[in-house]
Amino acid sequence: MPLAQAEDIVRAVCTDKWDGERLSPSLFVGENISVSRLAVIRLADHWDLFRQYVQKPPERWLELIAQINVGRLQNIGRSQNPAVALTVEPKPVDWNPAHAEIPQKITRGLASKILPELTLHQPPPQPSFPTTPLRYK
Amino acid sequence: MTTLSLPTKSPAYTLVEGLREPAAASAVRRGAPDEWAREELLLRKLGSKGWGRVYQFRNYYESGWGEKGRVLSPRALDAFFRFLEDATFPNATTVPSVFLTDRGGIELCWEDRNGKSVQVEFTGTGAEFYNAATDEEGVVALDGLTHLSQRLSA
Repeated sequence: MPLAQAEDIVRAVCTDKWDGERLSPSLFVGENISVSRLAVIRLADHWDLFRQYVQKPPERWLELIAQINVGRLQNIGRSQNPAVALTVEPKPVDWNPAHAEIPQKITRGLASKILPELTLHQPPPQPSFPTTPLRYK
Repeated sequence: MTTLSLPTKSPAYTLVEGLREPAAASAVRRGAPDEWAREELLLRKLGSKGWGRVYQFRNYYESGWGEKGRVLSPRALDAFFRFLEDATFPNATTVPSVFLTDRGGIELCWEDRNGKSVQVEFTGTGAEFYNAATDEEGVVALDGLTHLSQRLSA
Protein backbone atom coordinates (compact mmCIF):
# COMPACT_ATOMS: atom_id res chain seq x y z
CA MET A 1 0.00 0.00 0.00
CA PRO A 2 1.50 3.36 -1.04
CA LEU A 3 2.61 5.84 1.60
CA ALA A 4 0.20 8.55 2.70
CA GLN A 5 0.68 12.07 1.37
CA ALA A 6 1.49 13.33 4.85
CA GLU A 7 4.65 11.21 5.15
CA ASP A 8 8.12 12.61 4.61
CA ILE A 9 10.84 10.61 2.88
CA VAL A 10 14.62 11.06 2.73
CA ARG A 11 17.41 10.05 0.38
CA ALA A 12 21.12 9.83 1.13
CA VAL A 13 23.31 12.26 -0.85
CA CYS A 14 26.90 11.04 -1.20
CA THR A 15 29.99 12.57 -2.81
CA ASP A 16 29.16 11.15 -6.25
CA LYS A 17 25.95 13.25 -6.31
CA TRP A 18 27.11 16.42 -4.53
CA ASP A 19 30.20 18.50 -5.26
CA GLY A 20 29.68 21.13 -2.60
CA GLU A 21 27.77 23.46 -4.92
CA ARG A 22 25.31 21.53 -7.02
CA LEU A 23 23.17 18.46 -6.50
CA SER A 24 23.14 15.85 -9.26
CA PRO A 25 19.73 15.51 -10.97
CA SER A 26 20.50 11.80 -11.39
CA LEU A 27 19.78 11.48 -7.66
CA PHE A 28 16.13 11.11 -8.73
CA VAL A 29 16.41 9.92 -12.36
CA GLY A 30 15.25 6.39 -13.23
CA GLU A 31 12.97 3.73 -11.80
CA ASN A 32 12.70 2.22 -8.31
CA ILE A 33 14.47 5.11 -6.61
CA SER A 34 15.36 4.12 -3.04
CA VAL A 35 14.17 6.36 -0.24
CA SER A 36 13.64 6.00 3.49
CA ARG A 37 10.67 6.89 5.70
CA LEU A 38 10.95 9.37 8.55
CA ALA A 39 7.77 7.91 10.02
CA VAL A 40 9.66 4.69 10.75
CA ILE A 41 13.16 6.00 11.57
CA ARG A 42 13.72 9.56 12.70
CA LEU A 43 16.10 11.83 10.79
CA ALA A 44 18.77 11.85 13.50
CA ASP A 45 19.07 8.05 13.29
CA HIS A 46 19.30 8.05 9.50
CA TRP A 47 22.79 9.56 9.72
CA ASP A 48 24.16 6.47 11.43
CA LEU A 49 22.16 4.14 9.19
CA PHE A 50 23.35 5.75 5.95
CA ARG A 51 26.94 6.02 7.20
CA GLN A 52 26.94 2.33 8.00
CA TYR A 53 25.20 0.99 4.90
CA VAL A 54 25.22 3.59 2.11
CA GLN A 55 28.54 5.40 2.22
CA LYS A 56 31.56 3.37 1.09
CA PRO A 57 34.78 5.00 2.27
CA PRO A 58 37.28 5.97 1.08
CA GLU A 59 35.69 7.03 -2.20
CA ARG A 60 32.04 7.57 -1.31
CA TRP A 61 31.05 9.64 1.71
CA LEU A 62 27.65 10.67 3.00
CA GLU A 63 27.40 14.46 2.57
CA LEU A 64 23.75 15.40 3.02
CA ILE A 65 20.31 13.95 3.57
CA ALA A 66 17.62 15.21 1.19
CA GLN A 67 14.03 15.32 2.45
CA ILE A 68 10.70 15.76 0.65
CA ASN A 69 7.05 15.33 1.53
CA VAL A 70 5.23 12.57 -0.39
CA GLY A 71 2.27 14.82 -1.24
CA ARG A 72 4.63 17.51 -2.54
CA LEU A 73 6.43 14.92 -4.67
CA GLN A 74 3.11 13.77 -6.13
CA ASN A 75 2.09 17.36 -6.93
CA ILE A 76 5.32 17.85 -8.87
CA GLY A 77 4.60 14.67 -10.85
CA ARG A 78 1.06 15.80 -11.61
CA SER A 79 2.24 19.20 -12.84
CA GLN A 80 4.64 17.62 -15.31
CA ASN A 81 3.57 17.46 -18.98
CA PRO A 82 2.57 14.64 -19.49
CA ALA A 83 1.55 14.11 -15.84
CA VAL A 84 3.24 11.32 -13.89
CA ALA A 85 1.34 9.64 -11.02
CA LEU A 86 4.17 9.18 -8.53
CA THR A 87 3.76 6.83 -5.57
CA VAL A 88 6.08 5.69 -2.80
CA GLU A 89 5.85 2.01 -1.91
CA PRO A 90 7.19 0.57 1.35
CA LYS A 91 9.95 -2.01 0.66
CA PRO A 92 11.62 -2.86 3.98
CA VAL A 93 15.04 -4.50 3.68
CA ASP A 94 17.27 -6.23 6.25
CA TRP A 95 19.38 -3.19 6.97
CA ASN A 96 16.58 -0.64 6.77
CA PRO A 97 12.98 -1.32 7.88
CA ALA A 98 12.11 2.21 6.67
CA HIS A 99 13.22 1.52 3.09
CA ALA A 100 10.74 2.44 0.33
CA GLU A 101 10.84 2.91 -3.43
CA ILE A 102 9.38 5.22 -6.07
CA PRO A 103 8.55 2.63 -8.76
CA GLN A 104 7.65 4.99 -11.61
CA LYS A 105 10.21 6.16 -14.15
CA ILE A 106 11.41 9.65 -13.32
CA THR A 107 12.84 11.50 -16.31
CA ARG A 108 15.67 14.02 -16.14
CA GLY A 109 13.20 16.87 -16.67
CA LEU A 110 10.97 15.72 -13.81
CA ALA A 111 13.97 15.11 -11.53
CA SER A 112 15.10 18.68 -12.21
CA LYS A 113 11.78 19.92 -10.82
CA ILE A 114 12.06 17.74 -7.72
CA LEU A 115 15.55 18.96 -6.76
CA PRO A 116 14.63 22.56 -5.85
CA GLU A 117 11.87 21.24 -3.56
CA LEU A 118 14.23 19.14 -1.45
CA THR A 119 15.18 20.15 2.06
CA LEU A 120 18.89 19.46 2.45
CA HIS A 121 20.11 18.47 5.90
CA GLN A 122 23.75 18.94 6.88
CA PRO A 123 25.39 16.34 9.11
CA PRO A 124 24.96 17.04 12.82
CA PRO A 125 28.05 18.42 14.56
CA GLN A 126 30.39 15.77 15.88
CA PRO A 127 30.47 15.44 19.68
CA SER A 128 33.38 17.40 21.07
CA PHE A 129 35.96 16.00 23.44
CA PRO A 130 35.64 16.97 27.10
CA THR A 131 37.66 20.07 27.89
CA THR A 132 38.13 19.19 31.56
CA PRO A 133 41.30 17.14 31.99
CA LEU A 134 40.71 13.63 33.14
CA ARG A 135 42.30 12.58 36.43
CA TYR A 136 43.60 9.14 37.06
CA LYS A 137 43.99 7.91 40.56
CA MET B 1 101.36 -4.61 -13.22
CA THR B 2 99.45 -5.45 -10.15
CA THR B 3 95.86 -4.29 -9.87
CA LEU B 4 94.39 -3.93 -6.49
CA SER B 5 90.72 -4.42 -6.14
CA LEU B 6 88.57 -4.34 -3.13
CA PRO B 7 87.31 -7.68 -2.08
CA THR B 8 83.64 -8.14 -2.92
CA LYS B 9 81.59 -8.00 0.18
CA SER B 10 78.16 -9.32 0.60
CA PRO B 11 75.67 -6.52 1.35
CA ALA B 12 74.97 -5.70 4.95
CA TYR B 13 71.34 -6.67 4.43
CA THR B 14 69.13 -8.20 1.78
CA LEU B 15 65.45 -7.58 1.23
CA VAL B 16 63.19 -10.54 1.60
CA GLU B 17 61.45 -11.55 -1.61
CA GLY B 18 58.15 -9.92 -0.72
CA LEU B 19 59.74 -6.49 -0.26
CA ARG B 20 61.71 -6.39 -3.50
CA GLU B 21 60.23 -4.00 -6.02
CA PRO B 22 60.21 -5.00 -9.67
CA ALA B 23 61.88 -2.43 -11.91
CA ALA B 24 58.70 -1.82 -13.89
CA ALA B 25 56.70 -0.99 -10.79
CA SER B 26 59.26 1.44 -9.44
CA ALA B 27 59.43 3.41 -12.69
CA VAL B 28 57.49 6.67 -12.95
CA ARG B 29 54.22 6.07 -14.71
CA ARG B 30 53.40 8.60 -17.38
CA GLY B 31 50.08 8.94 -19.14
CA ALA B 32 49.78 8.64 -22.87
CA PRO B 33 50.17 11.98 -24.73
CA ASP B 34 46.43 12.23 -25.44
CA GLU B 35 45.87 11.59 -21.74
CA TRP B 36 47.84 14.75 -20.93
CA ALA B 37 45.72 16.71 -23.38
CA ARG B 38 42.60 15.40 -21.68
CA GLU B 39 43.86 16.41 -18.26
CA GLU B 40 44.70 19.87 -19.54
CA LEU B 41 41.21 20.10 -21.09
CA LEU B 42 39.62 19.10 -17.78
CA LEU B 43 41.58 21.68 -15.84
CA ARG B 44 40.82 24.41 -18.37
CA LYS B 45 37.08 23.78 -18.57
CA LEU B 46 36.18 22.34 -15.17
CA GLY B 47 38.93 23.61 -12.90
CA SER B 48 40.86 21.66 -10.31
CA LYS B 49 37.70 20.46 -8.56
CA GLY B 50 36.29 18.95 -11.76
CA TRP B 51 39.67 17.42 -12.60
CA GLY B 52 39.88 15.86 -9.14
CA ARG B 53 36.37 14.45 -9.27
CA VAL B 54 36.88 12.83 -12.66
CA TYR B 55 40.16 11.38 -11.39
CA GLN B 56 38.34 9.89 -8.38
CA PHE B 57 35.49 8.50 -10.48
CA ARG B 58 37.97 6.83 -12.84
CA ASN B 59 40.28 5.39 -10.25
CA TYR B 60 38.43 4.77 -7.02
CA TYR B 61 34.81 3.86 -7.81
CA GLU B 62 34.87 0.11 -8.35
CA SER B 63 31.96 -1.96 -9.65
CA GLY B 64 29.19 -2.18 -7.06
CA TRP B 65 29.91 1.21 -5.48
CA GLY B 66 26.98 2.74 -3.67
CA GLU B 67 23.69 0.88 -3.91
CA LYS B 68 24.10 -0.75 -7.32
CA GLY B 69 26.59 1.50 -9.04
CA ARG B 70 28.52 0.49 -12.14
CA VAL B 71 32.10 1.38 -12.84
CA LEU B 72 32.58 4.44 -15.08
CA SER B 73 32.18 3.37 -18.70
CA PRO B 74 35.26 4.15 -20.87
CA ARG B 75 32.96 4.91 -23.80
CA ALA B 76 30.98 7.33 -21.64
CA LEU B 77 34.23 9.01 -20.65
CA ASP B 78 35.27 9.30 -24.31
CA ALA B 79 31.91 10.88 -25.12
CA PHE B 80 32.33 13.28 -22.19
CA PHE B 81 35.75 14.43 -23.42
CA ARG B 82 34.52 14.78 -27.00
CA PHE B 83 31.68 17.01 -25.79
CA LEU B 84 33.95 18.99 -23.49
CA GLU B 85 36.34 19.84 -26.34
CA ASP B 86 33.57 21.56 -28.29
CA ALA B 87 31.61 23.06 -25.39
CA THR B 88 31.81 26.64 -24.20
CA PHE B 89 30.33 27.60 -20.85
CA PRO B 90 29.19 31.06 -19.75
CA ASN B 91 31.62 33.00 -17.60
CA ALA B 92 29.68 32.31 -14.45
CA THR B 93 31.07 32.42 -10.94
CA THR B 94 31.02 28.64 -10.76
CA VAL B 95 32.40 26.13 -13.25
CA PRO B 96 30.22 23.19 -14.35
CA SER B 97 29.78 20.32 -11.90
CA VAL B 98 30.59 16.72 -12.72
CA PHE B 99 28.89 13.66 -11.20
CA LEU B 100 29.07 9.88 -11.52
CA THR B 101 25.74 8.17 -12.25
CA ASP B 102 24.67 4.75 -10.98
CA ARG B 103 24.67 3.24 -14.48
CA GLY B 104 28.33 4.13 -15.03
CA GLY B 105 27.74 7.39 -16.87
CA ILE B 106 29.25 10.78 -16.21
CA GLU B 107 27.05 13.83 -15.82
CA LEU B 108 27.81 17.49 -16.47
CA CYS B 109 25.62 20.27 -15.03
CA TRP B 110 25.87 24.03 -15.43
CA GLU B 111 23.67 27.13 -15.84
CA ASP B 112 23.15 29.09 -19.04
CA ARG B 113 23.51 32.89 -19.27
CA ASN B 114 20.07 33.30 -17.72
CA GLY B 115 20.80 30.98 -14.82
CA LYS B 116 18.72 28.10 -16.21
CA SER B 117 19.95 24.58 -15.63
CA VAL B 118 21.58 22.58 -18.43
CA GLN B 119 22.49 18.92 -17.91
CA VAL B 120 24.07 16.20 -20.01
CA GLU B 121 24.69 12.62 -18.93
CA PHE B 122 27.18 10.71 -21.08
CA THR B 123 26.69 6.96 -21.39
CA GLY B 124 28.27 4.18 -23.41
CA THR B 125 25.86 4.82 -26.28
CA GLY B 126 25.53 8.60 -26.36
CA ALA B 127 24.11 11.30 -24.14
CA GLU B 128 20.90 12.19 -22.35
CA PHE B 129 20.25 15.91 -21.92
CA TYR B 130 17.88 18.41 -20.33
CA ASN B 131 17.65 22.12 -21.01
CA ALA B 132 15.53 23.94 -18.42
CA ALA B 133 15.25 27.09 -20.56
CA THR B 134 13.19 25.21 -23.15
CA ASP B 135 12.08 22.33 -20.87
CA GLU B 136 13.48 20.06 -23.57
CA GLU B 137 14.95 16.66 -22.81
CA GLY B 138 16.17 13.92 -25.09
CA VAL B 139 18.82 11.44 -26.09
CA VAL B 140 21.50 11.70 -28.79
CA ALA B 141 23.81 9.02 -30.21
CA LEU B 142 27.60 9.33 -30.05
CA ASP B 143 27.76 10.92 -33.51
CA GLY B 144 25.41 13.69 -32.39
CA LEU B 145 27.59 14.99 -29.58
CA THR B 146 29.20 17.85 -31.52
CA HIS B 147 25.82 19.14 -32.61
CA LEU B 148 24.48 18.82 -29.04
CA SER B 149 27.48 20.67 -27.71
CA GLN B 150 26.85 23.56 -30.10
CA ARG B 151 23.15 23.65 -29.20
CA LEU B 152 23.69 23.71 -25.46
CA SER B 153 26.77 25.91 -25.35
CA ALA B 154 26.57 29.56 -24.44
